[in-house]
This record gives sequence, C-alpha cells and structure tokens, in this order.
Amino acid sequence: MDYSSVIQGFSVVLQPENLLYCFIGVLVGMLVGVLPGLGPAATVAILLPITLNVEPVTAIIMLAGIFYGAQYGGTITSVLLRLPGEASSVVTVFDGYAMARDGRAGSALGIAAIGSFVGGTVSIVALTFFAPFVARFALDFGPPEYAVLALLGILLVASVGSGSRLKALVAAGLGLLLATVGRDGFTGAERFTFDSLALTDGIDFVPIAMGLFGLGEILYNLEDRSGRATAPPKMVRALPSKDEVKQSSGAIGRGSVIGFLLGILPGGGAVLSSMAAYAYEKKRSKHPERFGQGAIEGVAAPETANNAAATSSFIPLLTLGIPANATIAVIFGALLIQGVTPGPQLITEHPDLFWGVVNSMYVGNILLLIMSIPLIGIFVRILRVRGTILAPITVLITLIGAYTVANSVFDIMLVCVFGALGYLMKKFGFEPGPLVLAFVLGSLLESALRRSLILFDGDPSGFVTRPISGVLVLALVIVVAAPALRALMTRRQNRAKNEELV
Amino acid sequence: MTTTFRRLGAVSATAGLVLLTAACGGNLGSKSAEEAAENFPDGPVTLTIGQDPGGSTDLIGRALAGPVSDDLGVSMPVVNRPGANGALAAKELESAEADGQSLMVINMSLAAITPLAVSEDQAVDVNDFEIVTGISTDDYVLVTNADNGWSTIDDLKNAGKTLSYATTGVGTGSQLSSELLFKLAEIPGKAVPFDGGAPALTAVLGNQADVASVQLGEAMPQIEAGKVTPIVTFAKERNQYLDDVPTAVESGYEVEVQQARAIAAPKGTPQEILDELKAAFDAAFETQAYQDFNTDNLLTPNEVSGDEVVEQWTTALDRYRELTEEYDIDLGGGQ
Amino acid sequence: MSASHEARTPEELAEQWEAEKPPAAGPLSTAAAAAVVVLLGAAVMVASFRLGVGSVQQPGAGLWPLMIGAFLVVSSTVLVLTARRFDDAERFVSSSWLVLVGLGTMVLFALVVGTIGFEIPGAVLAFVWLRFLGKESWRLSTIGAVAMVVAFYLIFVLALQTPIPHLF
Repeated sequence: MDYSSVIQGFSVVLQPENLLYCFIGVLVGMLVGVLPGLGPAATVAILLPITLNVEPVTAIIMLAGIFYGAQYGGTITSVLLRLPGEASSVVTVFDGYAMARDGRAGSALGIAAIGSFVGGTVSIVALTFFAPFVARFALDFGPPEYAVLALLGILLVASVGSGSRLKALVAAGLGLLLATVGRDGFTGAERFTFDSLALTDGIDFVPIAMGLFGLGEILYNLEDRSGRATAPPKMVRALPSKDEVKQSSGAIGRGSVIGFLLGILPGGGAVLSSMAAYAYEKKRSKHPERFGQGAIEGVAAPETANNAAATSSFIPLLTLGIPANATIAVIFGALLIQGVTPGPQLITEHPDLFWGVVNSMYVGNILLLIMSIPLIGIFVRILRVRGTILAPITVLITLIGAYTVANSVFDIMLVCVFGALGYLMKKFGFEPGPLVLAFVLGSLLESALRRSLILFDGDPSGFVTRPISGVLVLALVIVVAAPALRALMTRRQNRAKNEELV
Repeated sequence: MTTTFRRLGAVSATAGLVLLTAACGGNLGSKSAEEAAENFPDGPVTLTIGQDPGGSTDLIGRALAGPVSDDLGVSMPVVNRPGANGALAAKELESAEADGQSLMVINMSLAAITPLAVSEDQAVDVNDFEIVTGISTDDYVLVTNADNGWSTIDDLKNAGKTLSYATTGVGTGSQLSSELLFKLAEIPGKAVPFDGGAPALTAVLGNQADVASVQLGEAMPQIEAGKVTPIVTFAKERNQYLDDVPTAVESGYEVEVQQARAIAAPKGTPQEILDELKAAFDAAFETQAYQDFNTDNLLTPNEVSGDEVVEQWTTALDRYRELTEEYDIDLGGGQ
Repeated sequence: MSASHEARTPEELAEQWEAEKPPAAGPLSTAAAAAVVVLLGAAVMVASFRLGVGSVQQPGAGLWPLMIGAFLVVSSTVLVLTARRFDDAERFVSSSWLVLVGLGTMVLFALVVGTIGFEIPGAVLAFVWLRFLGKESWRLSTIGAVAMVVAFYLIFVLALQTPIPHLF
C-alpha cells in the first residue's frame, strides 16, 4: 500500500480551521449526546445540517468530532444518571453508576475517556494498516456465525450483574420475549402487538433501557431510605488516580482488542464487544464479586471496547460500503452528501478521501480526550445538585428524550411502563441488566437462527461444519462446560486428598 | 405565603387555558381550510420520513427540504418517524391537519406491495392522501456473487440446486421481484429475509445467499468493483446507469417491480396549497445540486403530477395482486 | 452522607450497602413474582402455537416465542421451588405510595403531552416532585418547575428543533 497519501492527509486535517471545526464537533456532539434518548445515531442525525455548509474535508472532520463526542456523551449519562444512551453502554451502567454513587464519578468518567481514547486509537491504527485485509474476514460472518455469537453473548449475560443466576436467567428470558414483539420479519405476522401499529416495529431499546435503569432507580429512591440517594455523594476526586489507571490498564488493553475484532462484524458488533469485554474482565478477575459494586475495570473494559468497536465498524463501511449499525448508517449518508461514496473502490480510486476520513478520526479521538478531561469536573458537578432537584430534571429529560428517539408519544408511555417494571424488579430482587442485554441480542439471535435454519434446510449440523461457526460452537461448549469441569476436578482432587489422608 | 402561591397557581392555570385555546406559536394548532389556503405557508412545513435516518428515503427527503424551503420562504424540518416500513408515519399524516404544513415522503412499496403482505387494516391506500408530486424511481437489480460465474437467468436455472435468495424484508419490492422471477422462470428457490438492503447484499458478498434483489444505489459500488454480477433489473426499461444489463421483461419474464417515492399531504388539503407546493418542489427539482444528488444516488427522476402517481401506484397494486394470485405467491408467509 | 461512606474497599462498601438495605420481604415474595412469570410463559406458549410454529426447514413466527415461553416456564418454576433460598426481595413500605404518586405524574405527562404540549404537564410534574416528593420549599418548587420547563424549551424546541409537542 502507498502510505504517502496518509502523511499528506494529515497536513490537511491539521490545519487550524479544520481543528477548530473538529473541536466544535466534539463539544456539540458531547453536549447533545448527553441528553438521554439522543443516542449517537440520533445525535449525529440532528447535527448533520451544521456540517452541510462547510468544505467537504472540514465537514468530514467535524463529523468525526461529532461522532466521538456523541459516543462519549452516552457514557456520561450512563455513569451519572444510570441512563444508557445506547445499547453498547448498558454494561457501563453497572459499575459506572456504582462508582458515581460512591463519589468516584470523576474516576469513572476519566477512565472511560482514557479507555475510549486508547481503544479508538488502537482501532484506527489497525484500520490504517489492515483495513482491506480484515474486511474479507468480516464477510465470512453469515447468519450461522451470528446465531452462535449471539447465543454466546446471552450465556455471558447470566454472568453479568451481581444477583442470583437463576433470577438473571428469568430476567434474560423476559428480555428475549420483549424482543419478539412486533411484526415478524420473516412472515409478516404480528407478534404480541395487540393490534397496535406503534408496536409493529417492536419496542425500541431506548425506552426499555431508560425506563428500567433510569426511571426504575428514581422511583425506587422515592422510598427514601436512609437518604442514600438524595444526599449528594461526596466527591473523592475529579480524575482517576495513578493506581486506578494502573488497575485498569490491563482491562483497557484487552478491551481494545476485543472491541476492534468484534466491531468489524456488521450488525451488533459494538454491543457484543462491550458485553464481551465486561464479562471477560469479570471472569479473569481475582475478585469477580467487586463487579457491579464499582469496579473500575468494569467501566474501563466496556468503554474501551465500545469505542474501539465504533471505530473499527468503519472498516466494513469504508472498504465494503456496508454500514454496520445505525450510527454508521447516518455517517454513510453524511459522507454521500459530501461526495464520498464508501465502498470497495474508495481506497483505490479516491485514496485522498479515504485517508481524509481515517485521519480525521485520529484527530477527533485526540480532541475528545483533551476536551473530556476538563469537562468531567463540570459534568460531575451535576451530581452535587440535591437529589430532590435532580430527580424531576432526570424524569423530564427521560420523558422528552424517549419522545425524541422516534418522535412518538407512545414511547413516552412505554418508558413509564418500563420505569414501573424496573421499580418492581428491584423490589423483587431481579436485576434489570440481564433483561436489557438479552433484549438487545434477542432479535439478532432469533433472525440469525431462523436464517441459518432456512439456509441449512433445517439441518443443525451446519453450525458445526462451517469453520468459523464451528470454532464458536466449541467456545460455547467450553463456556458452558468449564464450570462443570472445574467442579468435577476439585471434587476429584478432594477425593484424592481424602484418599491420601486415609 | 402559601396563599400567594396558590393564587399564582390559579392564575397560571387560567393563563394556560387561554393560551391553549389560542394555540399561539406551538405545534398543536388547528384552523379552517380557507384560512389555511390564504395563510399558506404559515410557519415551518414539516417533512416526515417514515424510515430511519441514513436510508435512501431519508436522503431524498433531506436533499429536497433545503431547496423547497428556500422557495417557500419558510423552514422545512425533516422529521424521522420510522415504523412498519413507513405505515406509522402514513397513519399519522392521515390524521394531520390538511393545511399543507405537514407532508411526508411516501414509498411506492408501502402503497403497492405491502398491502399484499399485511392485514387489511394495516395496509396503506394511496387514495387516502393528496399526492403533491412524484419524486424519483429506484430500480431493483438481481445480483449474485461474482465467484459464482452466473450472469444470466439461464445460468441460475442451470445451477442445479435450490437457490437461496436474500430479500430486504417482508412486503418489499425486493421480495416481490425475486418471488415472481423465481416462480415465472421455474427456478427452485427459497427466500431468506434480511432487514434491509445492506445485510442482504452482505449475505451475497459472503456467499451465504446465492442471489439478492436490492436497490441499484446500494449494489452499484459492488457491481463496479466486480464483486457482484448484475443479472437483471426489474424496471420497465433498462436503467440509464446500468444500460448493459437486461430487464427481466427483456429476458422473457413479465416481472416489473420498482421503488418510487412521492410527496404526500393529508386528504382534503386545498388545491391552491397543493399547487403552491408542487411549484416549490418543481423549482427544487430544477436546482443543480438536487440533480447532482440524483446522479450520485443513481435515481431516475419521476417528477410527475400527483394524479399520475396515484394512477401508477394503483395500477401496480392491481397488477401485483393478480400476479401473486395467479402464481400462488404469498408475501405474508402463510398469514 | 454519613462518615461511614469513606469506606473505600469493595468489601466495606458491600457491607455498608448491605446495612442500608430495606427490610427483606422473604421468600414468599420471590415465589409470587416467579409464579407470575410462569403464567406469563404459559400464555406466551399458547399464543405461539396460534402464531404457527412452522417446521425446522421453514420456522414459523411462533417457533422462537414458543422456545422462550418454555424457557420462562421452566426457569421460573425452578425459582418457585427454590424460593426458600432467596431473601433479596424487599417489602413494600409506607413510603412506597410515593412511588405511585411519582409514576402518576409521569403517566399524566404521557397522556396529555400530545394534546396540550409538554410545558404544562412538565411544570406540574416538576412541581409535584419538588414540593411533595422532594419536600422542597414552595418558593424553590415554583421557581424550579418554571425554570426547568423554560430550559427544556430552549434546548429541545429552540436549539435542537425536535418536534416535541409544545404549546408556545
């Protein structure tokens, strides 16, 4: 490959004017992305018009800024208010909010910014060197591979969260059920829609997540025990300490790799990556019980992974012309407007544009890090507002935010319903986390499974004979069997010991 | 202290009611038809898109909104109201005020194909709207992975196996065109529905599905890169951007399916307003920027009058209904 | 917050949260919740058969929901049977009715926002939460409610131009 255009591209991107636009993009993206309901896709769509009146290169750089800012904006609400803006920051809620409650919101947001930066940069570097190569591997992921991957993800769900496994499984089942609501994409049959046209496309992720996590928590806190949630948590520090950074460095490194690899897969890669990174950290931790109680690795791993995945999901877009998720689809549209047609020919025929896009991602990522650190203090101050005042603000943001997702009053009602459900689940000792995660993966699992069955003519052995899905099935078996095997081993060891004693 | 605030509350409640009846400045107002026609455009004209941001319908709407708003002299916010392939937005438009302030970009497949796949009360009838103008058409093209070495329908027939064809979903032109072609050409096949054009195309690129019927704009980069081979297009005439590929009709199979888009207004919108809107859209169609947009996205202009759109779509629906009955095709998968 | 909140190690924290936990409701509450899910799962299974299960070659619309329904029935039946082991459910307390009030204001908002815009129900909601649920002063509640609505108007209507129904 010819890398001279890479270097040349940088001289364009680094012009002060372009940097200024990128700066504005990050700032605006972050400010709008912080509003719950406005996830990255919606944020980029809303802010799209402001990029239309500037030069194409500048517009693309600004878009990159908006993209990263919007991604990070979702993290802020996950940590501070327990309102994940999009599916890939759901797991951040677990430990991020626990840290915030404990006065360590600054550490959580800081480590998320650092992790996002590292993950994003690792991904861009890898994208720079391997994009065309890895694109080919992404195409080998068909329905069977996704089916196994999603199943693996859902099995990991049970290990996420801190409550009982059985209750987590029941909650996950409910999540899968909720994901079936809507018009069936295979037969056109209406499933559990109760003749409501508003439900034909199923339930959106945002009202479920905002209702169960956000409103559920606020309603629960109305019971007002021991002033736990109403008193502003004492700030310990605005930024992560050296120890905390050290503690999370491994998680950030592993999160980068997991995020990069899964993000390449079109469809659901970013969501899977944050869950996989979290589950993996929990698994390899010596104190898995800390997860869900404010473990900094539990913030660092998923936040690194989802930003790495968000970045590497540009690979299928730029090299194959396939938008991997809603946010990338909006960016796709924006690039088309700027005269960049992402696709297999972009890199060969318009290397300048290709590298323009890639280089602006470097810049956007760096600016995000530079800007988020000083802003964290300001955002964290939100938490010092009295709980009794913060609560109605959060409720109103949630209700209005739920509306803005699809401009639908119906979604406001949905978010109330899920708020009530979230409260009840909490009262009855069920964690909402597994429900939301299973919901996110549910439709992916079902459609991939059904597509595979159609393609295999109903013969399930196809899952094993295809090379990639075969390996994934093996991984699945190991995940299921490992705990059982371990139990068996310890029992045998104990018996051996006992025999020795005898 | 307490009483003061109670009184204040009462005052503000009354004020609220007064404002409510006056409906000043908000987006909830209502007025008579004559009033509407006289005052049009009275504030922003909302253009609703029944699909997610980023898709081709969305891009078209956004490309038009700019120049149209320049011509009308009011802003034209583009609002995405995704759901049920646009049916949700259409149902909302039906009940909107017929004053020309709310419009939507309506898809032909919603009015001419989806009714064959869903229950009657969910079907959208183009006659329930005033159509302001046609916009453009987008052709479906049947593609296969270049590695397969197939380039004609006969190649598909001689493949010697049941072919899997990826469609972009239930009740879409993609599904109808491939179902019809496979039936008419007597090729053994099985449908694999995906959620949209990109995943269907990916399945062909990854060789998980044998062929896919997708919109030309989506397939073109892959066709140009030689990754997929176009077999036929499903329009009446050859597509101007792909004129060496035959149509299905030329290949001997009467399959004619297209995607088209139009601007719809609520039924009963006064004719003066419709005329004013049509003129504004015509002016937008004339701009160089919009014409470049069409070329970039491989769209064929179909800037006909509203009546013509209704005529085109109604005919298409009748014809599709006949064909699906004749060949015993069930788009709804056994409903 | 109390001085004990200086607890920094995860173990201390967990202990502290444990101490702050509300009264447990006992296993019966878990069993009841699980029984509801069993019924739900059974209903889903019935509905799935009606949707059509199809075959393995051509899975119908009901196949997947049927599997989920069965999973729900099995897992929650196990939960009912082992409910004795769970003490993580919480009893409803006298202040639980506040939750109902809070939820009521939200539902009210959802019901009327389409017809009269978000300003009035938003202000009402904010006021109720501040004054009655939050026990703030009348002054702060009134000013707060108005200020919140104005701020939301500025952000969502003027700055972002979202089509949220608004009166003004």
